[in-house]
Amino acid sequence: MAPKKLRRARLSQELCERLSRYQITTCQDFLCLSLLDLMKVTGQSYRNVQKLLCKVSLACAPKMQTAYEMKVRRAVNPSSAFLSTSLHGLDKVLHGGVPCGSLTEITSPPGCGKTQFCIMMSVLATLPVSMGGLDGAVIYIDTESAFSAERLVEIAGNRFPAYFDSDEKLFSMTRSIYLYRELTCGSVLKRIKSLEEEIISKKVKLIIIDSVASVVRKEFDTKLQGNLTERSNFLARGASLLKYLAEEFSIPFNCKSEDLL
Amino acid sequence: GQRQLLPLAPALRARLVAAGFQTAQELLDTGPCGLSKEIGISKEEALEALQVVRQECHSDATQTAGAPGTSRKCTALELLEQEQAQGFIITFCSALDNILGGGVQLTKITEICGEPGVGKTQLCMQLAVDVQIPECFGGLAGEAVFIDTEGSFMVDRVVDVATACVQHCQLIAEAHQEEDHLKALETFSLESILSHIYYFRCRDYIELLAQVYLLPDFLSEHSKVRLVVIDGIAFPFRHDFEDLSLRTRLLNGLAQQLIIVANDHKAAVILTNQMTTRIGQSQSTLVPALGESWGHAATVRLIFHWDNNQRLATLYKSPSQKESTIPYHITPHGFRDVQPPAVTQNPEGTELNPRKRPRREEEK
Repeated sequence: MAPKKLRRARLSQELCERLSRYQITTCQDFLCLSLLDLMKVTGQSYRNVQKLLCKVSLACAPKMQTAYEMKVRRAVNPSSAFLSTSLHGLDKVLHGGVPCGSLTEITSPPGCGKTQFCIMMSVLATLPVSMGGLDGAVIYIDTESAFSAERLVEIAGNRFPAYFDSDEKLFSMTRSIYLYRELTCGSVLKRIKSLEEEIISKKVKLIIIDSVASVVRKEFDTKLQGNLTERSNFLARGASLLKYLAEEFSIPFNCKSEDLL
Repeated sequence: GQRQLLPLAPALRARLVAAGFQTAQELLDTGPCGLSKEIGISKEEALEALQVVRQECHSDATQTAGAPGTSRKCTALELLEQEQAQGFIITFCSALDNILGGGVQLTKITEICGEPGVGKTQLCMQLAVDVQIPECFGGLAGEAVFIDTEGSFMVDRVVDVATACVQHCQLIAEAHQEEDHLKALETFSLESILSHIYYFRCRDYIELLAQVYLLPDFLSEHSKVRLVVIDGIAFPFRHDFEDLSLRTRLLNGLAQQLIIVANDHKAAVILTNQMTTRIGQSQSTLVPALGESWGHAATVRLIFHWDNNQRLATLYKSPSQKESTIPYHITPHGFRDVQPPAVTQNPEGTELNPRKRPRREEEK
């Protein structure tokens, strides 16, 4: 997601060289300048600069889809739209389960069962599609060291005794759950940024962050004024990265947080 | 420039020469007030003279670059006529339409601020459907552009809202049995509504800037678009911006471009904004995000908020309507009133205005 270089926006070589003398090398640099500044650095007229703006914008702008095309795409693959939670009442309220392709946040006071829910969702994601799972791997980002592998195996064996009928099956499931312990906001952000390649290579179908609140609370004492902005920055940056990954790979995300404010 | 003989009265020309004027450009640069003082003629005479000079210069000079295409000035009367003929996009919540003066106005920017979950995106999706209502049902028969920066757009939800809207029009058609209603319903279907919502997912502020730069061309190619939604304007600008002055400049640029788009293409622009906490000396309050200078961008500002379990909409800023607050509901069919509007039906029991629709069991 690094800013696109201007040469890839199909500007002429000559123009790109001229702009680089002013330290303008990416589309981002170009689009952030005012029209007057653009006229100065390109040495071109108002009308020509507007045409250049359109050219660079075309290289950056998203592709258009109609709502109809989006609906058709979802209809083609209905089972991949949600991950069922295996709790009938909850699935009903959520219209199928945890939606794939977007962020879901689970929040409650401590002790209500958030981590247990996340562990159960991890098991479900590894199940075959015929059983309501996603037949894929799970990335579990653990900031509180709350994840218990023993508990994972216990839940799997008790919930689905017919499927996990051998130790081999249980171990195979545990091999598909990748656990990362991150203890600071910075390392959580770094981990999220590195996920793109892992998702592809490991065929990840579910990502869990347990929990967002604990790292944020540790690092940002909101009684100190400056920290509120920093904290919002971190959360916003994390959120937009996660949303990009969720939509790009159509995977559900679970983020846990207790009352942050 | 060349010396030409300007068609001015000889007496006037004599005075000009005596005062030392040599070129037409000099005259134009001096302006009528300066000219009248310098030569001792009245301001009206000076103005007349200058207009003559200007005409002469422009008639044989090559066309100056940057001559404006469409002039954007008119008298207040012309504007009044335009405003009265103006269409509105209804929201299906008659209380909200009323405080807005009829609905969401074309050619204006309307901003909706509110906390997450209060219903901003719901209203945007409702409007993207409502703008398409055929003219015979009181709508604008337009199309919609939906620019999504947060990923809040849910196609399944738009399907619910569009289905309810089509059903509503079908009920009106059944009650009236008029040919143009039935004809319009042939093309006003779920599929056609979804096909005319043009969706763009902008993942950061650069994609948003780029998309807004491309909007005029897109709207020229899709001339039936009457609604542009940007949901939400704040999200891409709330992080990664250490340079707040750059952010302010970019936001101002966006606002200006959107005003031009709204005017040139007779479209309504809807922006959704988040709320942020302003830390005061003794307490903190929730205020719209993006700072105070951003507050000038929109013509109309709505704030959606909660009062216990009731959702409320407050009209916070408007050039023509007074500040008021009304309650609204989000139902499975979309954005709606809290209570049925006063039913004032005549014996025939028919109402042509789709806002005063007959109540059916499936609605609250």
